[in-house]
Amino acid sequence: MTHGSLNGLGDSDMQELQEVIRWFQYIIVNGLPATLLLTFLGLVFGFILGLLFALGRVYAPRPIKVAISTYERIMRSIPILVLMFMFVFGFPGLFNFVGAGTNATLMAVAFALALRSSAYQAGIFRSAIQSVSPGQLQAAQAIGMTNLQANVFIVLPQAFRLAVPGWSNEYAVVIKDTSFAMAVGIAEMNKLALNLQVESPEFMLFILFVLTLVYFCFTYPVTKYAGEIMTKRLKRLGLGGG
Amino acid sequence: MENQGMIALFLIIGLGIGMVSGFLIYPVVNPPVETEEPEPTPDLLEVIQTRGYMIVGTSSGWPPFEMVNTTDSTFYGFDIDLCNYVADYLNVTIQWQDMDFDALVPACDAGTIDLIAAATFITTDRNDVLTPSVWYIRTNEVVVVKSDSVLNVTGLDDLDGYDVGVQTGTVEADEISDHNDGGGAIVVHEYPRPDSMFVDLNSGALDAIYIDEPVLTVYQNIYAVKGIYSLTAPPTALYMDQGNPDFQRAVNNAIAIAFEEGLIDAWIAKWFG
Repeated sequence: MTHGSLNGLGDSDMQELQEVIRWFQYIIVNGLPATLLLTFLGLVFGFILGLLFALGRVYAPRPIKVAISTYERIMRSIPILVLMFMFVFGFPGLFNFVGAGTNATLMAVAFALALRSSAYQAGIFRSAIQSVSPGQLQAAQAIGMTNLQANVFIVLPQAFRLAVPGWSNEYAVVIKDTSFAMAVGIAEMNKLALNLQVESPEFMLFILFVLTLVYFCFTYPVTKYAGEIMTKRLKRLGLGGG
Repeated sequence: MENQGMIALFLIIGLGIGMVSGFLIYPVVNPPVETEEPEPTPDLLEVIQTRGYMIVGTSSGWPPFEMVNTTDSTFYGFDIDLCNYVADYLNVTIQWQDMDFDALVPACDAGTIDLIAAATFITTDRNDVLTPSVWYIRTNEVVVVKSDSVLNVTGLDDLDGYDVGVQTGTVEADEISDHNDGGGAIVVHEYPRPDSMFVDLNSGALDAIYIDEPVLTVYQNIYAVKGIYSLTAPPTALYMDQGNPDFQRAVNNAIAIAFEEGLIDAWIAKWFG
């Protein structure tokens, strides 16, 4: 008796199962690195820029505030695919310092994701900073801290905690938007799923389901634990809007 | 004095904004200055050979010209064999950029890719922005219907009123839109890829497909479809950016030698046989 029939699975079932496992392997092994790299770069550069913009929106003089909010509005209204085309084809050679070709395209796409994300992250951090009770800043000043010290040691740590739920949402947006990179020649998960569909068009829906599952596995835990659980913890502390 | 912290903060913010915007704006406001003796831009051939690899744009899923093997993640097909030969001749390796077909021409024009290898027909529109190599193969364009279809076509006029699928950016799409501009009434549906087009033909959403014949050969193995009307397509060539005579000559020489050595015929036998 073969192992397959012991499990009540015929040979053809086993073959189909192996085929589905191969799809997962192909998408994860070849596509996940590019997807995660783009998500990471987009979020990190977006974080740095977004935090600067958020601080600017809260503390800077009026002209800078206006400039930043204009930037946010512009970035929020450009489709991400247009931004990617802009940096990949519109400014050729801009990212050639990392090596022309695939590397430069990756950087250009990451930059587009980061610029768009920075606008949203600026909004997330601005509202978080403003949610920290003004008494905290005043108390810090009262014990002799400078504004910078008060922000770095008192306001920002609390603001970051408040920003976690909103930020996890932004992570979910960025990881899904990396799928647009396929159009400019990046072999990320969506592109690889299409390669599989070309080989076996009759299984198009199944392959898309496999792809969906992989994206879900990388999105749900983060939004669940960073988002929902943090919201509940903040609520217990009497903070946040959840 | 209490403002010192804030001033430092704004300096950092200002520097950040300045760096980013300067980085972005520089190439726009500061185009390369035309000096009295402009430095000649190096030919693409020189750039590629210094770099050690050639960036070739393609659009996979177009059998038998360019396909992806999902078992070992390699490209294979007629154009792939040809490009590997050209790269060998130039003594460089290839970095493939697999993108949407209609993004290839702008990408090559922008310099993001060095060469287009995507079974590209020579057309005057493409010649306006890019330079073709010598042509290496001529295929047919064919009208495809389901095997049980009774549609009889002896020219594009016979397709008037029917739902016809074409791939975006292809010569077939141009021909049908020219036909419609001239008073034709074909209901045209554009698809980014051939696979979804065949799914729709098979499900009955489309009455016919207008596509390159080699692609039909492959999909005939999957679906019950037949070609009912074919005509000779424009010749197929590799495309590169204008103003690179050395690169163009090198690519043309590689293709000429491939013809001389009988390799092109061997590849035709291998992929179309």
